[in-house]
Amino acid sequence: MTDSRTLAYINLYAVLGSLENLCELAPEASSLLTNKKPISIGFEVKGGPSATITFKNGRCRMEQGCTKCDVKLPFSSCEKFNGLIDGTVTPIPSKGFHHIGFLLNSFTKLTDLLAKYMRPDPEDLKDPDFFRISTLLLLNTITVAIAQIGNNDEIGKFSAKNMVDGEISFSIKGAASTTIRVKDHRLLGIKKASDNPRAIMEFSSIELARDLFDGNVNAIACVGSGDIVMKGMISMLDNLNRILDRVALYLA
Amino acid sequence: MSMKINTHNRSAELFQRAAKVIPSGLYGHQGPAEGCCIPVSAFPLFSERAEGSYFWDVDGNRYIDYMCAYGPNVLGYNDPDVDRAVMEQMKIENCVTAPSTKIIEFAELMVDTVASADWAFFAKNGGDTTTAAIMTARAATHKKKIIFVKGYYHGVAPWCQKIDYPGVIPEDVANNLYVEWNDFEDLERIVAENEGEIAAFISTPYMHGNFLDNVLPAEGYWQKVRKLCTEKGIVLIVDDVRCGFRLDLAGSDHFYGIEADLICFCKALANGWNVSALCGKDWLKSSISGLTYTGSYWMSAVPFAAAIACIEKMKKIDLPKICLEKGLMLTDGLKAAAANNGFNLNVSGEPALFYLMLKDDDSLMLHQEWIAEVVKRGVYMTNHHNHFINASLSDEDIKFTIEVAEDAFKAVRKNHPELG
Repeated sequence: MTDSRTLAYINLYAVLGSLENLCELAPEASSLLTNKKPISIGFEVKGGPSATITFKNGRCRMEQGCTKCDVKLPFSSCEKFNGLIDGTVTPIPSKGFHHIGFLLNSFTKLTDLLAKYMRPDPEDLKDPDFFRISTLLLLNTITVAIAQIGNNDEIGKFSAKNMVDGEISFSIKGAASTTIRVKDHRLLGIKKASDNPRAIMEFSSIELARDLFDGNVNAIACVGSGDIVMKGMISMLDNLNRILDRVALYLA
Repeated sequence: MSMKINTHNRSAELFQRAAKVIPSGLYGHQGPAEGCCIPVSAFPLFSERAEGSYFWDVDGNRYIDYMCAYGPNVLGYNDPDVDRAVMEQMKIENCVTAPSTKIIEFAELMVDTVASADWAFFAKNGGDTTTAAIMTARAATHKKKIIFVKGYYHGVAPWCQKIDYPGVIPEDVANNLYVEWNDFEDLERIVAENEGEIAAFISTPYMHGNFLDNVLPAEGYWQKVRKLCTEKGIVLIVDDVRCGFRLDLAGSDHFYGIEADLICFCKALANGWNVSALCGKDWLKSSISGLTYTGSYWMSAVPFAAAIACIEKMKKIDLPKICLEKGLMLTDGLKAAAANNGFNLNVSGEPALFYLMLKDDDSLMLHQEWIAEVVKRGVYMTNHHNHFINASLSDEDIKFTIEVAEDAFKAVRKNHPELG
């Protein structure tokens, strides 16, 4: 019960979009970009999303649309783009062939590193630094994925339709906070804390957040034990939780 | 003298024990998550005993209970008349191969009591009866679509959940149509767009949804709905599970001046004993007779005896009048307590099932804080759901509740100097 268009939006904005956070959190990621000329890669998916990722000074930033980019990767369908993410499709640039070295080298290493953190080996998670980076990456990825599901997936849109306007603070106590902004039943995932949340969902620790993201514990059970604090417009959180259920379906 | 602030250490310990063997520790509306216990530490999670309008939690704290077990406590916990009938019936028989004749007595009493009832069908929970009502409507009309009012709650069977709920598949709700409450034109439009396909319109007597002010029916709304349903052959189902008997012993459809084709009862029916009832019009009797729909305990005699005693007592004391008067006395006092402390407390819905919401912020966080302070001082309320009046609630209980509300408002104001 997933659709390839929604998955393409998640893959581009949430998964590849988390390269931004990877470069901020993981020194080995930013070091792949140091002493490199700035470069931007555009992704254009027919019938789906488009975005440009710019790599500059050891950091990266994603923006919607790809009218200005050094390398352009067109995809004839959402399925083809999803194939890039699961490794079954090799992209062919329509622009910027002379930058192919970056694509084959640094970009591939970055996405491999991203995969290492996003689908970690259990042994790697025993390292506290790796654990923290991996979990914070997941928080940001999930935040953006929630918005994409609420805006594109048929069942997700039903949940979003029942959400009132306002911001939801989605946070790990003492570690990080993101925001889901709702306006006219459209969702926007924002990778920073909300100044004025209308509803709050806060995980008591990074370990608990990890367990939740991995599906090892249930949010409802954690509310009772006090490990998750929910307050404010609970109807917003109810619907957020329903979309969150679908995140696991898409990111599995 | 400052008020005692309750703590819930034993509740928390027991919850940890429960969580090892019970999903979510406590699931459903009586659990801390769905029950919106915000923060959880402010709320008792388990009770030790109950009597009249009170329950005592496992930490020894007493609460005046305005949730009334989410409705069933209508006469007072352990009502002596109901419990006497129960004890007498227990000595005779309960769940037996050939049911007790109590079922006939009870059905006759329901038909005599509920204005729109020509027959009565019994089950256990409210959801059993809403499901029976939908099946009956579909069996009678041979049509599949059902119209719901947005924000509805009619139980937990898959047909009455929503497409995004866990465990529900799109096919479960494929024939559900949704209209706005009190919007007759919206209903007319949906009926016209689905001409000849609609089996039933199901609604509570008024909009008593959660997280929002409750809304009474507009003048003439129900009369227009009744006429449209009759003209179009749509079965009109009133879900009176929550309101039933607190507004009108003849049914809430009667209270608002119409007759439903099918009407569902549960909560206040037997003062906490487990029985529910679907009542209906004669023309639907053969349809429900043909359903394959039954349960192991649906004809147990003890809950029937409890329901008979409960209904007789509700008639004797004129329960709706008591609920109205006590509801008004309480909510007037709560509003005044809020105003005294510079807060704007909105009271909506019928006084017997009053709904509270502080209007001083739009996030509900201030309201949740106030409710938590109220609970910590020994008055059990919730921040998301309507409340319930029961007949045993005394004027002293109401007076104490208002004092608690005042003290809780003062505590909230002290915690929020930014409010001025």
